[in-house]
Amino acid sequence: MAWKDLKNRFKRQFSDYLELPGDIMLDLPKIVLVGNLQVFIENHRGIQEYNPQLVRVVVNDKVVEVTGENLTLRNILPDEICVEGQINSLSFYN
Amino acid sequence: MLLFRFLSRLGGYVTITLPEGCLEKFINLAVSRGVFLWDVTGIGTGRVAMKVRLSGVQALRHVARMTGCRFKIIGRHGLPFLVSRMKRRQAMTAGALIFVAALYVLSSFVWFIEVTGNKLVTDQAVEQVARQAGLKQGVPRWTLDVPTLEETILDQVPGLSWVGVYVEGTRVYIKVVEKKLPPPDETGHPVDVVAVKDGLVKEILVLSGHPEVKEGDTVTSGQVLISAAIPPPVIDEEKEAPDGEDALEPKEQQPLRYVHARGIVRARVWYEGVANMKLMEKGAEITGRETTRFGIKLGSKEIILIGPRKLPFEHYALDIEVKRAPVWRNINLPVELLTVRYYEEKLYTRSYTRDEARRLAGRNVLDSIREQLPEGAKIVNERLEEVETTGSGTVRVRAIVETLEDIGIDKPYQYRGGGSGA
Repeated sequence: MAWKDLKNRFKRQFSDYLELPGDIMLDLPKIVLVGNLQVFIENHRGIQEYNPQLVRVVVNDKVVEVTGENLTLRNILPDEICVEGQINSLSFYN
Repeated sequence: MLLFRFLSRLGGYVTITLPEGCLEKFINLAVSRGVFLWDVTGIGTGRVAMKVRLSGVQALRHVARMTGCRFKIIGRHGLPFLVSRMKRRQAMTAGALIFVAALYVLSSFVWFIEVTGNKLVTDQAVEQVARQAGLKQGVPRWTLDVPTLEETILDQVPGLSWVGVYVEGTRVYIKVVEKKLPPPDETGHPVDVVAVKDGLVKEILVLSGHPEVKEGDTVTSGQVLISAAIPPPVIDEEKEAPDGEDALEPKEQQPLRYVHARGIVRARVWYEGVANMKLMEKGAEITGRETTRFGIKLGSKEIILIGPRKLPFEHYALDIEVKRAPVWRNINLPVELLTVRYYEEKLYTRSYTRDEARRLAGRNVLDSIREQLPEGAKIVNERLEEVETTGSGTVRVRAIVETLEDIGIDKPYQYRGGGSGA
């Protein structure tokens, strides 16, 4: 995987240098939190788990975990998910 | 998003439930096939509800077969379902349609007719004519011909000078304006023209009647100017032919004639007025700043609810408005709502020189005289003179205004012994 790491590093430096946003250049998720009521996750790769207390969304090569109360998926579009409810935490893990 | 919701309602959508276990696979597959899902919520008991458009349901059947989870439709919303429900309940649909149609049909008839603006002409008289012209209760609105209706009513109802017909909804207003006729001429009772005020007759124009005064005469209030009694014309021939029988005859044939005297008597009238003006004037004037205090009065206690506790004005005028509960069965509630408005006032002292005071006093007295003048009076001359006063603090000004005005007024004729009263 050394070649892929090198490629990623080069891409990152390149986008930093040209000040291009990461979500386009590096295919990273763009996550927008509105208070603790809503979270928009763009550029996702699908849902891994859903129940009213926990939502896991696959992004690029990581998983975004949203925990809270009464979570609902308001929208599910091919490239955007909107989670609504009382959000307690948002975390990334591999 | 609102547009999206609206379109979903138009096209119809369903609420489906799935077991929680196979949700992720199902959603991911559905989304990748372009089926749009929204409002995914857990509903307890291990099932999850979500909404999907009617057009996506067929695709979801494939997804369900591939993922091996069965979904259940628990709710149907939107126009297509509404239409099918309507089809099942045709009587209700028909009822709703009939209601709307009846409302529309009934609103195209005239149900109320109101006649306004008449005092002497009765409503019935106007309505009677309107009925003959085709305006009555229950007539379809489209048969009304407003211009001819107006014309007919104006023609056939006596005593009207203008008629307007307005159709507003199911109500028709007939607005009429009555002719203003001059007061009926009491032919039975002769009328004199008498003076309303003292004056010097400048010109006299007799339309009917016998003049009692001539130009240059001084008249007093109440004096007859034009008499209703017209003496027989004096014929010179009478004197020339002193034939006893002939002389008596014309007098018998031409006794006093009584008429409604009319005419214009213009006279010079003098008005006098006096005004005082203090050289040092003290007073208060409202500055325009005001504040309002709103409170409740409980017995003798006053509680301020809204407004400043301490008044910001040193001098003020106030205006109190009290609201209290209506007295009912001798129960008098000791509660009052008080609205007190305070208007700030400023005290001032003004001092005038003697000239200024004289001018101001003159203006005041002339203004007050002008207010008394009747319409049509022409001011011929104005004169101001200062009157000596004992106190040195005031200036007194007398004004004399001379006008030219019509001083005649109608008054029923009264027999004055001497006939012509000259």
